[in-house]
Amino acid sequence: MDDNLFEKLRILSDAAKYDVSCVSSGVERKNNTVGGIGNASAAGICHAWSSDGRCISLLKILLTNDCIYDCKYCLNRVTNPIERATFTPEEVAELTIQFYRRNYIEGLFLSSAVEKSPDYTMENIYRALELLRYKYNFWGYVHVKVIPGANALLIQKTGMLADRVSVNIELPTRESLSILAPQKKVENILKPMSLIHNEISRAIEDKNHFSNAPRFVPGGQSTQMIIGATPDSDKTILNVSQNLYDKFRMKRVFFSAYIPVMSSPNLPAVSTMPPLLREHRLYQADWLMRYYYFNSSELFTEIEPNLDLEFDPKMMYALRNIDRFPIEINKASYEELLRIPGLGVTSAQRIIRERKNAQISYDSLKKMRTVLKRAKYFITVKGKYYGNTKLDPDEIKAEIRMKEIQKQISIFEI
Amino acid sequence: MDYLYDGTFEGLMTCIYYHYKKGKATGIYVISNYQQSIVYQSEIVETDILKAEIVSDAINRLISKEAYVHVYYCYLSNDAEKENLILDFLIFAFKYGRNTMNFYTHEKVLPINEIYKRVAREEHRVLGILRFSEIGGILYAKYSPDNDISILLADHFADRYKHEKFIIYDEKRKKVVVYANNNWEIKENINIDDIEFSIKETMIQKLWKQYFTDLAIKERKNINLQFQFVPSRYRKNMTEFK
Repeated sequence: MDDNLFEKLRILSDAAKYDVSCVSSGVERKNNTVGGIGNASAAGICHAWSSDGRCISLLKILLTNDCIYDCKYCLNRVTNPIERATFTPEEVAELTIQFYRRNYIEGLFLSSAVEKSPDYTMENIYRALELLRYKYNFWGYVHVKVIPGANALLIQKTGMLADRVSVNIELPTRESLSILAPQKKVENILKPMSLIHNEISRAIEDKNHFSNAPRFVPGGQSTQMIIGATPDSDKTILNVSQNLYDKFRMKRVFFSAYIPVMSSPNLPAVSTMPPLLREHRLYQADWLMRYYYFNSSELFTEIEPNLDLEFDPKMMYALRNIDRFPIEINKASYEELLRIPGLGVTSAQRIIRERKNAQISYDSLKKMRTVLKRAKYFITVKGKYYGNTKLDPDEIKAEIRMKEIQKQISIFEI
Repeated sequence: MDYLYDGTFEGLMTCIYYHYKKGKATGIYVISNYQQSIVYQSEIVETDILKAEIVSDAINRLISKEAYVHVYYCYLSNDAEKENLILDFLIFAFKYGRNTMNFYTHEKVLPINEIYKRVAREEHRVLGILRFSEIGGILYAKYSPDNDISILLADHFADRYKHEKFIIYDEKRKKVVVYANNNWEIKENINIDDIEFSIKETMIQKLWKQYFTDLAIKERKNINLQFQFVPSRYRKNMTEFK
């Protein structure tokens, strides 16, 4: 380790920070190796929170930021005059181990710009991973990027050693991709995704027959899309996500609000604010698709292809489908409970358990810390409706807006 | 009768045993914190491992494993009333048996649930934010948790750092977890002064601090959110905030 490392870490973490995924969940592994270090915890562990409030779980770095591509939205594009740096695999391994021993991180997230060729880059990523696993005996969490266009055998070998892999889809439509990243082809992105999906399915199948069958990315694959760099609607974005979940059994689809870092006629002006609220709403909708049995098609109507920025997607769904409410807390099924705004998985489970003993009262909903200020408009408890409005979308909206204004006024009346 | 115990979990369970077998407990208190009551007599209970085991076993068998874990976490909490909340909960629970934990919001059950959640949340948080430094080949972490959670951390780090030696020091309770050669133990009444770091250790800490600062996206700055995740009381022992 020498001073040079500070410089490299500065350049190569700066280039990696816009990658959103920092998740370390999905793999449970004890440290069963001889002389090895590290394990993995299924729930995932966050180790630090940076001043933007994002969780830091993994050491997130690029192997190199030296890129042959010229994607318009990317800081590392070949025509951008920036400092370039490249880590040696030993440096990556040493940094990971030293940070891990001090409990700064849960593992490594290794990404890379495309240096020379996809195969050349993929091979270097594999080398770093192999060194980390076998020479340094590291068995903490490792997530690596798969480079579109890389040789299938290389991808397979990488998948045997990584906990999670991801191929970035970058943008939700073929048109957007051809405008902003003309050198990237949709087919080259979908091919490795499909390969990884097939390998995962095969590994799971093998595991059913032989308990010591090798694992293939046990944490599954994920991907990421840039939001707001192109005019694609939320409906388009979430339909693509739904397809990725259905077809490739994706673990996560991440969204990254586009931060205008350079000017181009095809991009939003540099002065544009990153669409953070929109990104937040997309994540909420994504959550509904993964944990609340929603399908993306239920979230939109013929005329409205975007999520509501004012109300969260579940609230929006309820207001647009008011005929399905109110739902009686003491009779509803688990799936029905999950459709109520303000009620999460934990509350729904508590309600189901507590109902075994007695009817649920409005007071016990309070004690369960259900978010009643949202839920009350959409439920009845023992037949009684607690919203102080009619069951009418406009009245409910007006009431919630008024409550919000009252809250703001009261701040000044201290 | 007020029962007084030595502060150990086994001591607390022994008191529960006497509540059923000897005479109703009007309250359970740690001996050293006890203030003589005008109304009730008090009695010092000597911790009896066998009696404690009978109670622990009964909780697991007649109520549930979940209830046992809740009671144990509650015992580790810093709640001033925890012994009496546990006593009230167990009186209720031995009556309702396996159905107990379905009474989530019942007045005897809710406090145990809420305290459990608080302790479990701190445990999970500390698994992430505990910071080790290497000192003479040993990994050393100092922290100051709200609840007495050291015993909950030991297995996690013993597995993770299997071939290392480490010490986790709770400076508030003067308590350490010492791990070496596949074995950990807890020692009490220990004082550890601050130790100077080597050049290599200082360099790695600097690398981490630089990484931590660089990673933040300035267009997304959100200090309030950062404080929600890492409250200031934890920061004094975290490398990146020093």
